[in-house]
Amino acid sequence: MISEDGVRDQETVVVIDDDYAMRLSCHQILAKMGFRVEEFEDGARGLEGVSRLKPSLVVVDLKMPGIGGLEVVARIHKLDPEIITVVITGFATIGTAVDAMKSGAYDFVPKPFSPDELRVIVNRGLERRRLRLDSKRHEQERELMRRRFVTFVSHQLRTPLVAVHQYLDVLKHLPEGPDAVEKRAEWMERCLVRTDEMQQLIKDWLTLAEVEGGALTRERVAVDAAPLLSGLVDRLSTMAAEAGVTMTCQVPEDGLPLLGDAAALSMLFENLLVNAIKYNRAEGRVAVTAEGRDGEAVVSVADTGIGIPEEYRDAVFDEFVRVKGEGAKKTTGTGLGLPICKRIAGELGGVIELESHVGVGTTFRVRLPLHRPVQTAATAGGDA
Amino acid sequence: MSSERKRIVLVDDDDDFAAAVTAFLELHGFEVHRAADGRSGVTLAKMVRPDLVLMDVIMGERTEGFFAVQNLRRTPGLEQVPVFVISSVYSAEPQFKVTPERGWLAHDEFFQKPVDLPALLKSITARLGGGEGALATNPGTIK
Ligand SMILES: Nc1ncnc2c1ncn2[C@@H]1O[C@H](COP(=O)(O)OP(=O)(O)O)[C@@H](O)[C@H]1O
Ligand SMILES: [Mg+2]
Repeated sequence: MISEDGVRDQETVVVIDDDYAMRLSCHQILAKMGFRVEEFEDGARGLEGVSRLKPSLVVVDLKMPGIGGLEVVARIHKLDPEIITVVITGFATIGTAVDAMKSGAYDFVPKPFSPDELRVIVNRGLERRRLRLDSKRHEQERELMRRRFVTFVSHQLRTPLVAVHQYLDVLKHLPEGPDAVEKRAEWMERCLVRTDEMQQLIKDWLTLAEVEGGALTRERVAVDAAPLLSGLVDRLSTMAAEAGVTMTCQVPEDGLPLLGDAAALSMLFENLLVNAIKYNRAEGRVAVTAEGRDGEAVVSVADTGIGIPEEYRDAVFDEFVRVKGEGAKKTTGTGLGLPICKRIAGELGGVIELESHVGVGTTFRVRLPLHRPVQTAATAGGDA
Repeated sequence: MSSERKRIVLVDDDDDFAAAVTAFLELHGFEVHRAADGRSGVTLAKMVRPDLVLMDVIMGERTEGFFAVQNLRRTPGLEQVPVFVISSVYSAEPQFKVTPERGWLAHDEFFQKPVDLPALLKSITARLGGGEGALATNPGTIK
């Protein structure tokens, strides 16, 4: 960002001083530092030069005939507060220098000064300018991103609403006839599906916001993931059966202790399991396995489904992303499940990994820190 | 029917939105061909040679509608086809201006979703004339 190599755009520095000797020595010092230097002998010309040249820094003599240095500083600051001004002041005007700082000057150099003194102040001033410009740019970029995101999210939330509106609007214009009866029935069905989608979107969006704010994962209690997982598999067995999918579940018999919020953990694994069923094929399988080793719990959800194309493997963890194709056509979804999973895992100090082969299957692997409960006499005995 | 019906290519990734708008336009005698994304929209337009294109600007995650419009403008025979853009981005200020530098032509128009269907029909008819087919609302009139 800040390089000393001099390749970067030459910065302009303006010197405003009625004293010829002072202008000359400033010019020499600053030119040696690699700046493009322009000098002006009074405030009026100086201000005109500043607004034309847009310098990074201005050196101003406080005591000048005509428009005084103080006034010049104030006007430069008004013109562009990012321009650094350094005032030159004699002993007699030191009080005025303080006033100059109040009206926006960055610093002052008391006369007489050595080249080094000027160099140090100029470098410091420019460094500060760079930092300010950088953070301003970052702030603007963040703001732009945020605004785009808000626009994007509202677009996503409005999509089903738009579809429903459009159906109703056409239904209103539909002339009576057998065609209309059929269309009306079909479209009403679609309207219900889309309002459900809308409900789900808002629900998932709120969940995501809750996870984000830490509200869903705030509670940290010992949770045994083993019964949690087998319970989930049981609960989803009907859904799996309807999809023609068989589920198996293999968890450690002596449990898998985690530290976290049971509801959040349950939501995390349920999302993965539902996906494994949803994006599977008829007569497909879902295998849940869990084990604890090296202080880490590893829970895998492996399916024999449609797989996730390479180019989507990062994107599916982003909000609203659904893989285009058969999977999305045959199922409904918000594209918010995996973002929720990722956030929950992150909040609990873990990660989610994904391995997939298109047409063969996908494995999601969740790694979370194992919770080592305080050793009781019984477990301590086992270690000895 | 002596003359062919006017053809419209509708590019939108929402099946329901497309179904509703298609039904409405067919009702008014237009022939509607639909594509679900920008690229296949351009391919479809090359084949169908539509009299007008209705294009959603946000399809999926990208603003691929814009690229599609530029591609249309580069396709021989489609340089001048009116493109009505259906913007699904909700915003207070108009997001886009009809300016020539991005491939927009003066006869291109912008609509917000949900689309005001009577207004859309009015604009289309102003541009193309009627749909030429039998108006379903008034089955007696056949041109
Ligand atoms: N097990 C899986 N097999 C294949 N594709 C999957 C699987 N899990 C997720 N996906 C893909 O990732 C997308 C995002 O998943 P998710 O965030 O849960 O949203 P949703 O299921 O609501 O679409 C899905 O739409 C699907 O395309
Ligand atoms: Mg899901």
